[in-house]
Amino acid sequence: MSTEGKMSVKNRARLALNNDFLRSAVRFTTERLRSGKIQASADHGSWDEWRERGRQIRLHTIANLDYYLTQFADNARANGVHVHFADTAEEAVQLSLNIAKQKSAQSVVKSKSMVSEELHLNKALESIGVEAVETDLGEYIIQLADETPSHIIIPAIHKNRYQIADLLSKEAGETLPPDTSILAGFVRNKLREKFLDAEIGMTGCNFAIAETGSMVLFENEGNARMVTTVPKTQITLMGMERIIPSWTDLEVMATLLPRSATGQKLTVYMSGITGPRRDEDGDGPDEMHIIILDNGRSLQLGDPEFQELLNCIRCGACLNACPVYRQIGGHAYGGTYSGPIGAVLTPALKKNVAEWDDIANASSLCGACYEACPVKIPLHDMLVSLRRRKVEAGRGNKLEGLGMKGFAAIMNNSKRYRAVIRLGKIGQKLVARSGEIRLKAGPLKGWNTYRVTPTLPKHSFRDKWPTLEQEIRGGLQNMPSGMEQRLQNIMKDRNKGGGS
Amino acid sequence: MSSDSHEAWLAELEAASRQKQETFMNGIASKLRRPRVTNRPDQPFRGAPDFWESFQWSSEERISMFTQNFQAAGGHVIHVADAVQAADFITNKAEEMKAARLLMQNQPSLLALDLQQRLSQAEISVWNDQPETDWRAKAAEADFGIVEADYAAAYTGSMTVMSSANKGRSVSLLPTVLIAIIPVDRLKTRLGEIMSDFDAAGREGLPAGIHFISGPSRSADIENDLTIGVHGPGIVYAVLVDSW
Repeated sequence: MSTEGKMSVKNRARLALNNDFLRSAVRFTTERLRSGKIQASADHGSWDEWRERGRQIRLHTIANLDYYLTQFADNARANGVHVHFADTAEEAVQLSLNIAKQKSAQSVVKSKSMVSEELHLNKALESIGVEAVETDLGEYIIQLADETPSHIIIPAIHKNRYQIADLLSKEAGETLPPDTSILAGFVRNKLREKFLDAEIGMTGCNFAIAETGSMVLFENEGNARMVTTVPKTQITLMGMERIIPSWTDLEVMATLLPRSATGQKLTVYMSGITGPRRDEDGDGPDEMHIIILDNGRSLQLGDPEFQELLNCIRCGACLNACPVYRQIGGHAYGGTYSGPIGAVLTPALKKNVAEWDDIANASSLCGACYEACPVKIPLHDMLVSLRRRKVEAGRGNKLEGLGMKGFAAIMNNSKRYRAVIRLGKIGQKLVARSGEIRLKAGPLKGWNTYRVTPTLPKHSFRDKWPTLEQEIRGGLQNMPSGMEQRLQNIMKDRNKGGGS
Repeated sequence: MSSDSHEAWLAELEAASRQKQETFMNGIASKLRRPRVTNRPDQPFRGAPDFWESFQWSSEERISMFTQNFQAAGGHVIHVADAVQAADFITNKAEEMKAARLLMQNQPSLLALDLQQRLSQAEISVWNDQPETDWRAKAAEADFGIVEADYAAAYTGSMTVMSSANKGRSVSLLPTVLIAIIPVDRLKTRLGEIMSDFDAAGREGLPAGIHFISGPSRSADIENDLTIGVHGPGIVYAVLVDSW
């Protein structure tokens, strides 16, 4: 991944754009999920009130994270869970390996966990001779292909059934037809054996309920239930921000998450696991560990521009809504998380804008991600903040900086501005043809390679302003108070120096 | 490894974890630029929006909406008057599908269905009624798993099963077909009506496993093509019973 990360987003996007199957599969899948989401949220009604409620619950929990996390840890321990804390990915990996060694594990079955992807845990387990088996159908497929997920909800979005049949045939030792139900049937049987053989089951965590120390998993296949029911030891990897206070708060998350992810009213399975099996129970794990991971998350705390990033419930709605993701797919983002959330989360978690700044530019800032987000994270504002921080850190493009300085000098003075426009109107005669400039050289190269620059009009906005002003005078609209407040807050934070 | 040395290993991890927890939490407080929050904070918004809490369907509406939603997710719904009709349904289904092995939760009302009498050819097991049996394997080889749901929610088309000594999690998970009895007085309108019971029960009142089930196991991971029965049961019958 790190080498992939060093390639620029433009190069990775170019690879993706040349892959016709990938492009049409991504477009088809995101469209299916997006229209499902739009339908489900409209059917449910009062969607914005639910979003606002979800946002409020997440804001409150994160603002009091030390309290709720402590409460969760206390309750989970009282349930008999072994709770661990890890500052870094390396610490979480060490804890996991330590448990696997202690249990003399040969095999670990896993259900989908983005935290595990962050840790690159499968490779680490393999390095000590432990087989790690992904059991979500899509995750299993990309594990066989030795690839990473390209979509948070549909990880194998980029593979067609023929490629999948090839991969599974190798595993089966016989040729399987490219028929979905036969392929899925093979995986069901194959993984049944794996579930029954594995010493350890490993899961992620969608939500952790502080008041009862329970962990909650949403899924459709039943593999997460298998992983938490069959093996003798369960390890759960959990981002430190996954907390919600109560089960009634879970109703809000259960309303927002499946509808936003796939358009379902609820995933087929939603499981709340409260500790290892009770002594008298006939199944469930004997021993249960929960590893709570920071890995850059706490860097967002107290940062007015990025704290809301921790509200994310990992639904993928912003990917499906994003015009850039829909063209280039997940791998072009180069990190564990893709799409708009990945474009912000990857540099934010690494606190390394320099290395990851290019994906902050892989956005049109249209705000579709914010519109789609079930907890109203202003991702497009965050992308702008990332770009600003890069410039403030002196890592901006020098030429661009010079251009901006010149722009500021012109815009600050109406006489200069008028003079430049007059010059422009004369100058453009050299390159304009019937109202368009197509010159692919100099500062116009980047833009004109894919688009056409319109010429300056005969009558500019400034020329028309005296008449327009008269028209508008009648009924001037005020900005909605919420928007005005938000803009003012951003300005306040910026003046306080929040942009370091 | 002896169990003593394993306990010692766990104790060592525990001590390290408690120590780490302090720095972890202090780190959070310092990043938030305030002292540690040690008293329960006032929660300004808890649970669903207020208007939602008063939303209620009539019993008829609950039954019809549950049916509609559960069927839309690929499940089957049967509505019967009493336990005898429920037993008839299970018997007929087992014969029709040639089910050889049935596994059911150890619940008095399920035992009272008298399935052993009705299906003399089939092997019928009752969860966890003998200590020496490998119940995991029993569940994995069962054609039918039969459970009694603790709750259901019409709005999402979901049922809830809670684990205990007599109610294995595997019974609703490993068999090929799941048959769930839902007494209609346990069918609520909203998820929140169920959740509030869990909040009221508190940590000590909750079982290890609480599972909401909203249809057959499914996946769309291969070319968006819907596949049923990937890991969990691919055929699910919800049997609504008026008087149970």
